[in-house]
Amino acid sequence: MSSLTLVRETVAAALRGTPETRPQRDDVTAAGLRAELADLVFAAGATIEHPLVLRSSSLRSDVQLAGASAFARLRGLYVTAALRLIVNGCVPQNPFVELTSAFERLGTDSELVALVDQLSGDDRARLEAELRSHVSVLSRELGTIAPSWRPRTMVRSTVLVAGGALELRDQVDLMVGTHAASVASLALLDVTTSPLGPEAERVMRYHALVSTLRTGSLPLRTAMLSSATGERWTIDVTPELLQRAVADIAAHSTMAVAA
Amino acid sequence: MSALWHRRCTATDIADLIALAPAGDRLDGEHREAFAARLRSLPTMEPRRLDAWTVEHGGHAGRGFAWSPTTARRSIGTLAFARRLPSWTAQNAVRDEMSDQLANFARGYSRLGSLGHWLAGLDTVALSLVESEAVNWALQLLDVAELLGGGATLATTDGYYHVAGAQTTVRARRDFTVTGPEGRVVLRIRSGRPGKSAGPGLRADLVADALATPDGQAARRFIGLWPEAGLALAVDGTMENLRAGARDLVRAAVVQRRERLTKAA
Repeated sequence: MSSLTLVRETVAAALRGTPETRPQRDDVTAAGLRAELADLVFAAGATIEHPLVLRSSSLRSDVQLAGASAFARLRGLYVTAALRLIVNGCVPQNPFVELTSAFERLGTDSELVALVDQLSGDDRARLEAELRSHVSVLSRELGTIAPSWRPRTMVRSTVLVAGGALELRDQVDLMVGTHAASVASLALLDVTTSPLGPEAERVMRYHALVSTLRTGSLPLRTAMLSSATGERWTIDVTPELLQRAVADIAAHSTMAVAA
Repeated sequence: MSALWHRRCTATDIADLIALAPAGDRLDGEHREAFAARLRSLPTMEPRRLDAWTVEHGGHAGRGFAWSPTTARRSIGTLAFARRLPSWTAQNAVRDEMSDQLANFARGYSRLGSLGHWLAGLDTVALSLVESEAVNWALQLLDVAELLGGGATLATTDGYYHVAGAQTTVRARRDFTVTGPEGRVVLRIRSGRPGKSAGPGLRADLVADALATPDGQAARRFIGLWPEAGLALAVDGTMENLRAGARDLVRAAVVQRRERLTKAA
């Protein structure tokens, strides 16, 4: 039975939970989920030549709408980079200025820097102010993440199902714990700059499903934090939750094929 | 038939791949000479480096190497992992490793274009972003080490073989070695998911690794791990795979030469 928590505690505490009550590692559910997805791919008519590619953003209409806005994209990228700094114990005082300077020095995000250059003076000032607010919420809500919990940021996954006819791509903003322990201990966190809505649960389930398929074992819990409102949802991962994630993909693939 | 083994990246599957690996073949002096002769027949004006990446990209030149958090993560993360002690945390080890690189620069030991030189030009925030990538890599190594159990040894350097008279260096990428009485199994970790040329890439690494070994003994099996995709591919250390790998490296050199000649013209 999955539980939806709306209690206020730091994200670190919520992700860790009570170590003594963690369930045994489940290594058997993944194979069944993979088979179900393979059936689903066959029914949807996707092939290796024309694969169905899904991302967590595919399940969120707010991101799809925001995709058109360079401003929202920029804000998301800066907040994700700020999260990496906070996890490292380096909270930026002026995230916009400090991160822009870092991106320029690293020379790897030329597209992002070009987008910043295209912003009007008003938009730059608004982005700077918004980033201060988002980073302040993040650093307050995250709490201290101990290095011994193995925190990894911006963890990418690409899971192929049915020989590559279905490709599930994902990026988890923060992952703590390990999938190799005898008890479930891997926790996933997605940070969004939007307020949490009905689609947030779908995204959380998607992260849990991709992690399960990738590692072969169930993660402990999946969480989502809004850096706009400070609201956080945490769900324990169970086989039922993953079944719902498969159903989400089924609904999406039916729509994608119909379109 | 040169098989490409395809398994999930789980402890059981990897243990099976290692345990059931057949004996590897050996490259002798004649093989080395034949390989060198093929490369010498493709003269080059500048030093040439061939590796699995070159083979996977059909010999086409990329944009050239530049340091970035992504290209620096393996160097820093691997050296940080090599510092592993009982109280080890990836974050502290990566910080220590980066501090050492910066200290070497301050003492004047870093040459232009080296990692230490590049790190010294970054500010605190940029360094922290580099640190995040390196921590991810070090923790990925830790995950794989746990998956492999106690018998695996971290490979702190890749294998290199200089082909005399051909201005060519062949590189074998490797991250872990599992050595047993019947020989060794080599593992390398890659990001993303395996592409269509992953098999030829593994064979190129297999032959480069055998060439870099003084007695020419090939690994029993060369395993490529793609943890982000949860997949493992492997090739056996047979003469057929070694030949295929060598052929692909020579083909890549041919394409490189053609591209350089076209560019020069």
